[in-house]
Amino acid sequence: MFITHKNCPMVRGRLWHRAIIGAIVCLGLGTPALSAAQGLTALNDPPDLPSVSLHGFGTLGLTRSNDDNAEFVRDLSQPNGAGTRWTPKVDSLVGLQANVHFSHSTEAVVQVVSRYHADSSYRPELTWAFVRHDFSPDFSLRAGRLGTEFYMLGDSRLVGYSNLSLRPPPDFYGSLVFSYIDGLDVTLTRPVASGLLKAKLFAGRSPEKTPYAPGLTWDLSGSTLVGGYLDYQHGPWQLRASHAQVQFHHEMPVNALTGQPYLSAVPAMAMAGQSVRFNSLGLVYDQGPLNVQLMLNQIKHDGLAYADSKAGYVMAAYRLGAITPYLGVSRSSSDVEQLPVIGDVFIDKVLTPSLVAQSVSDQHTYTVGARWDFQKNLAVKAQVDRINGTPSSVFLLKGTESGGWDGKMTVFSLALDFVF
Amino acid sequence: MKVLLSTLFLVLSGLGSTARAEPVVVVSAASSLRQLSQDEVVNIFLGRYRRLPNGDTALPIDQPESSPVRADFYRRLVNKDLNEINAYWSRLIFSGRTSPPLQASSAADVMVWLLGQPGGVAYVDRTQVDKRLRIVMEFAR
Repeated sequence: MFITHKNCPMVRGRLWHRAIIGAIVCLGLGTPALSAAQGLTALNDPPDLPSVSLHGFGTLGLTRSNDDNAEFVRDLSQPNGAGTRWTPKVDSLVGLQANVHFSHSTEAVVQVVSRYHADSSYRPELTWAFVRHDFSPDFSLRAGRLGTEFYMLGDSRLVGYSNLSLRPPPDFYGSLVFSYIDGLDVTLTRPVASGLLKAKLFAGRSPEKTPYAPGLTWDLSGSTLVGGYLDYQHGPWQLRASHAQVQFHHEMPVNALTGQPYLSAVPAMAMAGQSVRFNSLGLVYDQGPLNVQLMLNQIKHDGLAYADSKAGYVMAAYRLGAITPYLGVSRSSSDVEQLPVIGDVFIDKVLTPSLVAQSVSDQHTYTVGARWDFQKNLAVKAQVDRINGTPSSVFLLKGTESGGWDGKMTVFSLALDFVF
Repeated sequence: MKVLLSTLFLVLSGLGSTARAEPVVVVSAASSLRQLSQDEVVNIFLGRYRRLPNGDTALPIDQPESSPVRADFYRRLVNKDLNEINAYWSRLIFSGRTSPPLQASSAADVMVWLLGQPGGVAYVDRTQVDKRLRIVMEFAR
C-alpha cells in the first residue's frame, strides 16, 4: 500500500533535485519555444499540450504580541515566534509551483516553499512533487509528494491569498505538523441528490521533522500516515467528516531533553510505534458575500506522552466591495489522562508530569480582522487575536519555559498576500 | 424612506443593467448536449465535477479577464466577484487538485476552442450567440 523509498525511485532525494532543476530549465528555456510553437499547432487545439506553467504565492507578514513571556507561532513546526517586537517570521513565506500539463487529464506538479520552520531557517522545502491523473471526471489518482488534508482547508493553509483570515486559526490547525507525505491519494466524486459526494483516501510516509524542545527536533520521517474524508456539497453548503492517523517511526528526543535514559525507566512514555488519530468535522456556508466556517476536531493519542485534545472554531466573513471584515472564535483544550508511575519520586512527581504538561492547552482566542483586495492577485490583511487561556496552556506557544506566562496574550498582525 | 430607497434601487439597478452583459452558457451546435442546470454549470466552472449529462468530460473555457461578460457570468452564477474567484482557484491550484477553465486570450479563441473540442462549454454575451452555438443554460431574468 505504501510507496517506500526503495520501490519508488521518484521519491529519492537526488532525482527530485534533478526533477526540479529540469523543471526550472524547462520554464526558463521552454516557455518561449512553446509559445513559438503555438502558431504551428492546429487551430482546433486548445492551449499547446504538453505545456508548462509557473505559479507562485506568498505572504509578507509582520507580527507582534503584547507579552514577552511566550512566543506566538503559526503552528508547532516553528521553533520560535513573535514576542513584543515586530517579526516577519511567523507568516512570511514564498512558494513556487510548476505545473506540467501532459494532457487535459494528466498533470505533474512540483512546489517548493520557503518559510520559517523546524530548523530555525527559511531553507526551502519540496512540498509537492506528484503526478495526477484523472481516469474520469469521477476518479482521480495522485502519486508522489502530496499535501495532507487532515482537516478541511488543511492543504492550502500556507496560501494566504486563498484564505480569508490572516492565518488558519492556531487553536485548530496549530498542532498539525504534517504538511505533506510521500505516497498516494485517490478521489471519487458522485452526484447525489443534486449535490456532490466526494470521498478521498490517502496513504504514505512522512518526510518531515518538527521542533521538539529548544534546540531539539523530532524526526517524523518514516511515520506512516493514512486517512480520508467524506465530503458533501450542496448549493452553498459543504460538510466534511475526516479521519487520519499517524504511526510514529522515530522516538522523540526525550532522553536528550532530560539528560538521562528516561525512556528505559518509563517505557510507557515512548512514542515510536504509537499511533495518534485525528477526527474532524467541517461545515462551510458560502453564499455570495457571506462565508461562515465551523470546524471541530479531536486528537487521540495511544501513547501517554501527549495529552488528547479537542479544538474548534467558528469564523464568519462578509464582503463589502473590496473589503471583507471577519470575526472568529476558536478554542483548544486538552485532557491529561493518568500518568505512568514507576515508583521513583523524582520521575513520577516531577519529570513525567512536566513532560506531559508541555502538551497541555486550555485556551480560547477571539479574532477580528479585515481583508482588502486592493488589486488583482494582491490582498492586505490586518488582524488582532486575543488569547485567553490558563497559565498551564503552553502547547500551542513557544518559549514558555522561562515562566511568567499567564495564559493571556494579544497578537497584532499585518500581511500582504500575493499570487502570480 | 421606503419610496426613496426603492427609487434609489431602481435607479442603481437601471444604471447597472445598461453597462452589463447578459451571459448565457453555450456549447457547439454540433454537440448532443441540450441543457445544463445552474448547479451543473457551477460544478463545471468551479472544477468540482466535470462530467456532462451526455457522458463527455466537460472542458470549460473562460473569457479573457478583461471581458465584462466574465465578471457578470461569475456574479450571476455564484454571486462572487473576480477577486473571490481568483482566491478560490489559487486554493485549488496550489493544493494541486484540479485545473481552472481554459484561459482564452480573446473572444475569438473562445469560439475556436469551443467549436473544436468535444465537451467544450463556454459563456458568451447573448448578443454573440450565432447558429454555430447552442444555449444550454440561461440565468433567470
